[in-house]
Amino acid sequence: MTITQSDLETVRSAVASVKDPEYPDLTIEQLGILENVVADASSIRVDLVPTILGCPALSTIEQDVKAAARRLGHEVAVQFCRSPVWTPDRITKDAQHILANEYTIAITPRLGRTQCPVCGGRSLEKRSDVGPTACRSVHWCAECRNPVEVVRSREAPVQ
Amino acid sequence: MVPSEEARKLVLSFADDELCVGQNHSWWIAIGPFLEEDLAFTSIAQDELGHARALYSLLTDDIDHLAYGRNHSEYRSAHIAEFLCHDWSSALVRHVLHDMAEQIRWSALTNSSWTALGETAQRALAEENFHIQHGLSLLRRLLSSDEGQKRLEPIVLSLAPYGREYFADCDEGLIDDGLLTISMADQERMWVDQVLETFDDFNISVDMGEETQSSGRSGIRSDDFATLHDEMTAVIQIDPNAQW
Repeated sequence: MTITQSDLETVRSAVASVKDPEYPDLTIEQLGILENVVADASSIRVDLVPTILGCPALSTIEQDVKAAARRLGHEVAVQFCRSPVWTPDRITKDAQHILANEYTIAITPRLGRTQCPVCGGRSLEKRSDVGPTACRSVHWCAECRNPVEVVRSREAPVQ
Repeated sequence: MVPSEEARKLVLSFADDELCVGQNHSWWIAIGPFLEEDLAFTSIAQDELGHARALYSLLTDDIDHLAYGRNHSEYRSAHIAEFLCHDWSSALVRHVLHDMAEQIRWSALTNSSWTALGETAQRALAEENFHIQHGLSLLRRLLSSDEGQKRLEPIVLSLAPYGREYFADCDEGLIDDGLLTISMADQERMWVDQVLETFDDFNISVDMGEETQSSGRSGIRSDDFATLHDEMTAVIQIDPNAQW
């Protein structure tokens, strides 16, 4: 079967709307996990960037991506990229708001101090390097006194 | 580039070390000494298993077979990675010795001429930083008390010399090929210096011995390996075709 530009667009938008298994309100595109959808004359490949190499949800995401393409009659190959490295700032601004409002989860900004998703304060105290998942640490907001989770940046310690 | 046989052997023994340590760390799930430690060990276990998977994927498309399906004598793990360490003090000391070694081993690969290996190393190293911070800060706190020192010192003295085996791989031709940027001998020296310095701060003088005292790299397994392997293959033994 020959892949047309329109096939590629359709598959891309179907794959982009695949939900993340851990945050079902968010898509893999919003979380910055979808890197690229590429095609040659006869096949389509989806490149994904894993949040961490040991993420147990990788095979679920792979199966969901393949199923989304299959519903449109396309078989795709899924490749987990070694580069680039996923960082929390790959999460879109919209998705950051949803994480803050719906899940009480903040992300580590590249610059400056992490903001409390409940009160907006900037006085988070770290309580545990890791939380319910390996990619989130547990903090305590000294201002509104709520427990807060922060998506860790593997490259920089949480401020 | 097509990686040489020596290069593939180096990756295999690194992957086997990660698999064994990851599996061993997971022993502490739900039974860590306190909640944060439980979570930390579980997360580190997950990272190490992820790194094992990433390394195996450089060698094969059938990762499950390579990770679980070999005869015992075909594994290349260092004995220190295989030890069950079902005592918290031993598990913590092994965690620190292992992660100190990993920092050095990954650093020697980040600029590898085997591009996929170099990228894996960069990726893994970024994830590793918190492992050693976590292990060292806890170990230092415990060693600062008399009770902690009394319990940890004999374990440090007996486990540390086994860590030399992490560097017992043959690196012939690998430096010339640009596959490895620090020779195994130099890596070992860096690790030994770091271990001696860390424990010297607590007046523990470690005797590293003349040479590596175990031979996991040549296919001889430690007494603990069979138990560890049974545990990690428990599901696949029940149902060889299980999907997960």
